[in-house]
Amino acid sequence: MFAQLRSLWKALWNRSQMESELADEMCFHLESRAQDLLRSGLSREDAYRRARIEFGSTVSYREKVRETHRVTWLEDFAQDLRYGWRVLRKNPGFGVVAVLTMALGIGANTAIFSVVYAVVLKPLPYADSEQLFNVFEARPQEGVTGAGWSYVNFAELRQQNHAFSEMAGNQSHQLTLTGRGEPSVVNASVVTPELLSLFGEKPLGGRVFFSEDGKPGAAPVAVLSENLWRNSFGADPNIIGSSINLDKRSFTVIGIMPAAFRFPQLTESEQVWIPLVQDPLFGGWLDRRGGHWLSVTGRLKPGVSMAQAQAELDAVSARLAKEFPAENDGWAIRMVPLQQMIVGKVKSPLLLLLGAVGLVLLIACANIANLLLTRATSRAREIAVRTTLGAGRTRIVRQLLSEATVLGLFGGVTGIVLAYWSVHGLSSLLPSNFPRTNAIRVDNVVLGFALLLSVGASVAFGLAPALFAAKANLQTNLRAGGVRSGESGGYRRARSFLAAGEIALAMVLLVAAGLLLRSFANLVSVSPGFNAQHIVKADISLPQFQYSKAQQWSAFSDELLARIQAQPGMQDSAVAVPRPIVDGFINLAFDIVGSPAASSSASRTVNYVSVSPEYFRVMGIPQLSGRSFDRRDVMSSPHVTLVSKTMARLYFPNQDPLGKQLTVAFPFDNGAPREIVGIVDDVRDVALGQAPGPMMYVPYEQAPFWGANLVVKSSLSPSSVATTIRQEVRKMDKDLPVTDVAMMPEIIEAAVAQPRFGASLLGLFAGLALVLAGTGIFGVISYSVSQRTREIGIRMALGAQRENVLKQVLREGTELAAIGLTLGLAGSLGVTRLLASLLFGVNPGDPLTFGVVAVILAMVTLAASYIPARRATRVDPIVALRYE
Amino acid sequence: MTEQAQLLPGTLDLLILKAASLGPLHGYGILLRIEQITRGALLAEQGALYPALSRLEHQGLLTSEWGTSDNNRRAKFYRLTTSGRRRLREETQSWNRLVTAIGAALGAKPQEG
Repeated sequence: MFAQLRSLWKALWNRSQMESELADEMCFHLESRAQDLLRSGLSREDAYRRARIEFGSTVSYREKVRETHRVTWLEDFAQDLRYGWRVLRKNPGFGVVAVLTMALGIGANTAIFSVVYAVVLKPLPYADSEQLFNVFEARPQEGVTGAGWSYVNFAELRQQNHAFSEMAGNQSHQLTLTGRGEPSVVNASVVTPELLSLFGEKPLGGRVFFSEDGKPGAAPVAVLSENLWRNSFGADPNIIGSSINLDKRSFTVIGIMPAAFRFPQLTESEQVWIPLVQDPLFGGWLDRRGGHWLSVTGRLKPGVSMAQAQAELDAVSARLAKEFPAENDGWAIRMVPLQQMIVGKVKSPLLLLLGAVGLVLLIACANIANLLLTRATSRAREIAVRTTLGAGRTRIVRQLLSEATVLGLFGGVTGIVLAYWSVHGLSSLLPSNFPRTNAIRVDNVVLGFALLLSVGASVAFGLAPALFAAKANLQTNLRAGGVRSGESGGYRRARSFLAAGEIALAMVLLVAAGLLLRSFANLVSVSPGFNAQHIVKADISLPQFQYSKAQQWSAFSDELLARIQAQPGMQDSAVAVPRPIVDGFINLAFDIVGSPAASSSASRTVNYVSVSPEYFRVMGIPQLSGRSFDRRDVMSSPHVTLVSKTMARLYFPNQDPLGKQLTVAFPFDNGAPREIVGIVDDVRDVALGQAPGPMMYVPYEQAPFWGANLVVKSSLSPSSVATTIRQEVRKMDKDLPVTDVAMMPEIIEAAVAQPRFGASLLGLFAGLALVLAGTGIFGVISYSVSQRTREIGIRMALGAQRENVLKQVLREGTELAAIGLTLGLAGSLGVTRLLASLLFGVNPGDPLTFGVVAVILAMVTLAASYIPARRATRVDPIVALRYE
Repeated sequence: MTEQAQLLPGTLDLLILKAASLGPLHGYGILLRIEQITRGALLAEQGALYPALSRLEHQGLLTSEWGTSDNNRRAKFYRLTTSGRRRLREETQSWNRLVTAIGAALGAKPQEG
């Protein structure tokens, strides 16, 4: 093979060299011959003439040499493909079934692979993206990981480390864009000036930030994304150098980043970047050492290993802990590849799906292999004739494999077409917060994968039948005509093995799908601790430059709530920051007044929520003891708090928390001790699948935010609720946009979009597997019945009862099912353990799921054997015997 | 001029392999060696050697490289590969069987009844 490849290579690429070498060689021959003839006494002229005559025509021999280079194996392959195509056409039923089976397998695999490739495997769309790392702070003892930085700590890290060529920090929130038409809200990344240059992306126009832009007192500047520039500024060619208003403050536009550049949100196409120092919100936090809010990205110097970099980070964190123990004791610095940080969460569900479609393809291959085995039996005579005529065993195997490849390629191409169609649907099925979905497409890599997979699958389903066929006994097959005699035990065993294997694989898939579906059902039926029905949420963000004081914030939300509650049907309204599931959570360290301060290694944390008094009524969160908040809980009155049931149980075991006092460290809380005045029930605020943690609520009046995060419970339609809110806000300030109006139940539904996506796709694949396995078993049993028509006829002629025949055939199916289920059980137990991290409220070895799946499979197997069994009982002995 | 046998069709490859098995040779050398070991059996035309060489090389039975001949000229030398050696052995055996069989067939006398 290697020699052939080499000479093919030579023939294709070194043609001219080969030609001249050949000419040299022949010339040498003539010359040597002439010399020899000269020595034997011929004249010079005669010697040369004689040499030429003996040699014959150099031209025609050169042509003959060229002919030997025409590559025979390639030609054989082409011939086999043509033959395979003819065989397929002669038997279209078989061809269509096989190609469709294959197309389903390849299509599903290609579609899922396109997602896996785009999301997980493809490098991030940044220059030398493998050098980019997210550097974060962690408290390993408490399992806190992925925390951000304070600006001061970051500045020291950036200065002290030598492993990274550059580091930059960023935070995101929204700013109000005014002055051009309707006020709107834009996503803003507030960054240290190095961020844009860190990624090495050139601006479309203008410039990126210089380090001067990041210094306090610098003029406010902004960089726009291309899409924001096109959609909100009509692609104004003079935008650079002109000013825009963000949160009522003027920023000079200095550059536009191309649409392809997205950071930090890869799904976000419209945004603005401003220097951290100019940010109305985080700009005020630059000199605080406490706090963990800045996300840091670094570019590792070429040639520096992760271990070296980590050692440096350890040194920096030790120095910080020594110099500023109050803020840094117990904190460590960690790094993780940026890619892993972005796609880490979706990686294992995606790989799970890829594994699942892989199993579907295996089942499809087993099905086709079975079809081919069946056909090989009926083609035994043809193969015997070929062998007698001199075809070697490898030649026969090669021919049958080529036929399989024709099938595989047809199936593959059809599958790729299927994938093209389904990738669109698939991307729209993906949860909206799924990273990198915009990159999902059937590109060359995906095409290459599909083609490789098709060829690989062809070999997988073609090899066993081909080997069997080539081994077949010549004499028997020639004599018997092949059709009804030559069913050797080997064939039957191979087919039964494949069918049992299909059952086993289908079982693994069904069990996995069953577990995920149960887990999903658990997830959606879990009570979040509040009643989301008829609740509409809406956000109003107050521009920081205009509304700069806490009193303004609480005055604004007071007036807004009063106005909205005055509207008919909308008296159940409240503000809350953060709202459960919707807004994320604020986790803070706290101390209990009068009890020893927690050591840094075991500090207490609580999720902190600031709410208006109506909140608990609107959300339906039950009061368990003490009192709720009311209008008298204002800034000047004693500071109070409500704690959740879990908070009371965790931190006040065997005592009454009422009357105890807490302090929290939070910039928006004034730090005065808060007395616990009541206990409310638990709420799943972080995620539906996460058990409720300790929570504390504070009156909004005592801890206001720069905006109003509304919840309105109303039987009115969501759109009329939204309209009313907009009207009232506009009456208060015409430049304030109302954003993110949504129904609470829909948000909760979106929160389970990812498990739903996984469960429904896996369910689909499991269904596919079930159908394929069912048809596989049907094929095996039908064929075995048709092979034994004569035997059954004889037995019935000798007096066998129909029931006996039926039982005999069904027994065959039952045996298959028993073997398949046993194998499947073992496989499932192994595989489902990998699922454990994706499951909620269901054990990977859940007996109910296993039981139901086994029963379904057993029933499908029985049904698939029953049809051919019935046919067997209708065999007419006379016809069957005459069949001879 | 002595009586010279023409080579049987299909035997050229075998003879080339045999010739090359005795040591690396250039094309003309192979020709001489064949004449020598067959005691003068002739190719119809000497050029026919080259398509055969090329075919054998293509099948991986021979390998070639350029070297210097006895008369100090650049020439392409052929050497038997491992699979070429194996092929030579197989072909020799089957040739011997054929010769024996044909010989026996031609030597058979009509049975006396």
